[in-house]
Amino acid sequence: MFEKFAKSFYLNFIKEERWRYIADGLLVTLEVTFFACLIGICLGFLVAIIRSTYDKTRKLKIANAICRVYLTVIRGTPVVVQLLIIYFVVFGSVDINKVLVAIIAFGINSGAYVAEIVRSGIMSVPEGQAEAGRSLGFNYVQTMRYIVMPQAFKNVLPALGNEFIVLLKETSVSGYIALQDLTKGGDIIRSRTFASMPLLAVALIYLCMVMLFQFFVTRLERRLHRSER
Amino acid sequence: MSGRNAQPLIQAENIIKTYGAMNALNGVSLDIYQGDVVLIVGPSGSGKSTFLRCLNLLEVPTSGHIYFEGTDITDKKVDINAHRQKMGMVFQLFHLFPHMSVMKNLTLAPMKLQGKSREEAEEQAMKLLERVGLKDRADAYPDQLSGGQKQRIAIVRALCMNPDVMLFDEPTSALDPEMVGEVLNVMRELAEEHMTMVVVTHEMGFAREVASRVIFMDQGSIIEENEPKEFFDHPKSERLKNFLSKVL
Repeated sequence: MFEKFAKSFYLNFIKEERWRYIADGLLVTLEVTFFACLIGICLGFLVAIIRSTYDKTRKLKIANAICRVYLTVIRGTPVVVQLLIIYFVVFGSVDINKVLVAIIAFGINSGAYVAEIVRSGIMSVPEGQAEAGRSLGFNYVQTMRYIVMPQAFKNVLPALGNEFIVLLKETSVSGYIALQDLTKGGDIIRSRTFASMPLLAVALIYLCMVMLFQFFVTRLERRLHRSER
Repeated sequence: MSGRNAQPLIQAENIIKTYGAMNALNGVSLDIYQGDVVLIVGPSGSGKSTFLRCLNLLEVPTSGHIYFEGTDITDKKVDINAHRQKMGMVFQLFHLFPHMSVMKNLTLAPMKLQGKSREEAEEQAMKLLERVGLKDRADAYPDQLSGGQKQRIAIVRALCMNPDVMLFDEPTSALDPEMVGEVLNVMRELAEEHMTMVVVTHEMGFAREVASRVIFMDQGSIIEENEPKEFFDHPKSERLKNFLSKVL
């Protein structure tokens, strides 16, 4: 039993340094996820703030309209199609790093979901909080920054954490533009050895990453909820 | 009251507020002088809270003017935030910031808006906390406080900005009965120190005791205005007589 496992392990990972497909792929996956996540957060918060500012004050009308088109298009089309369009259509005629394409595609995609999550968080903060801030003399931006956003962020942290777990797993379709991410790396080994082990290993690595990430999100949640004993 | 012939601290001039087809305020005018303790009473839906919220422009009047310390703050060009710093407001539902400790609630605005150092702001906050008997709650979070404690903290939060006037929007209406007294005591002390106050309330006993003037509003208008003894003992209008017979 153990011998069989060792033999298979050797064939799939050690021989011809095949583990490098997994290791290199993992780095690509992490890189894409991390930077897409950053873009998603920046874009998402920006869109959420524009949208809720419009809802509350009727200002930023044009920016709000642009945001709505963005949300509708991104949430209305599959991420794989978006990835393909950005690679083959938008950057079709330029020589561009595939990792960068994936970062842009997943970042823009994630931003739409983050935006709606954050907007729901802003709406969940009672109007009286903003009024209390304004009554002290804070302007709109200060009120958002010191009073509304910290509470909104706390309220949506679980949903945001979930969004980034989804993002991490969604990057596994990067293979569609022949980017060698973790999934693609495992699949390449499988195509050489015809064994089940590479894909199972890939699944296990995703699972471990998600569990680790969830652990940190839960800790952060607990820290932010200190004030509610 | 002293300074009756001086310029009013707040002058509301023919304030009209409509929500769609509904008239919340039908041209309300009122002068509030330095040191005045004006209590506004009236049935619910009479527009008294709307009027109070118009004074610091939390509600923007449909028409009319509010002059605060001589400046027309309804003028769009005026920096309303600068004037709001001088107008403390206390809400029915406290609206303490739940993600901050009591001390942060109290020092946030003085530090960010008045440029006070942390030490200065905390020292002032501590002094005021001591006055309302909550010095030991400085590190607590709002969710750990009782309603009466929350409202006393909310009053202190407004006072930390050294306002020229305090606006109270039904400050005891959301409190359990046994906690009303502790909040009214703080307000009474403020009145005794000649803080200018405008209070929307249902506490008739308190109105009779501390007010320099009592105002009766109904259906978006001021119906009657008088010093408290006359107001309660010899109401003139039928509507006020009717109202007092129900609440006293």
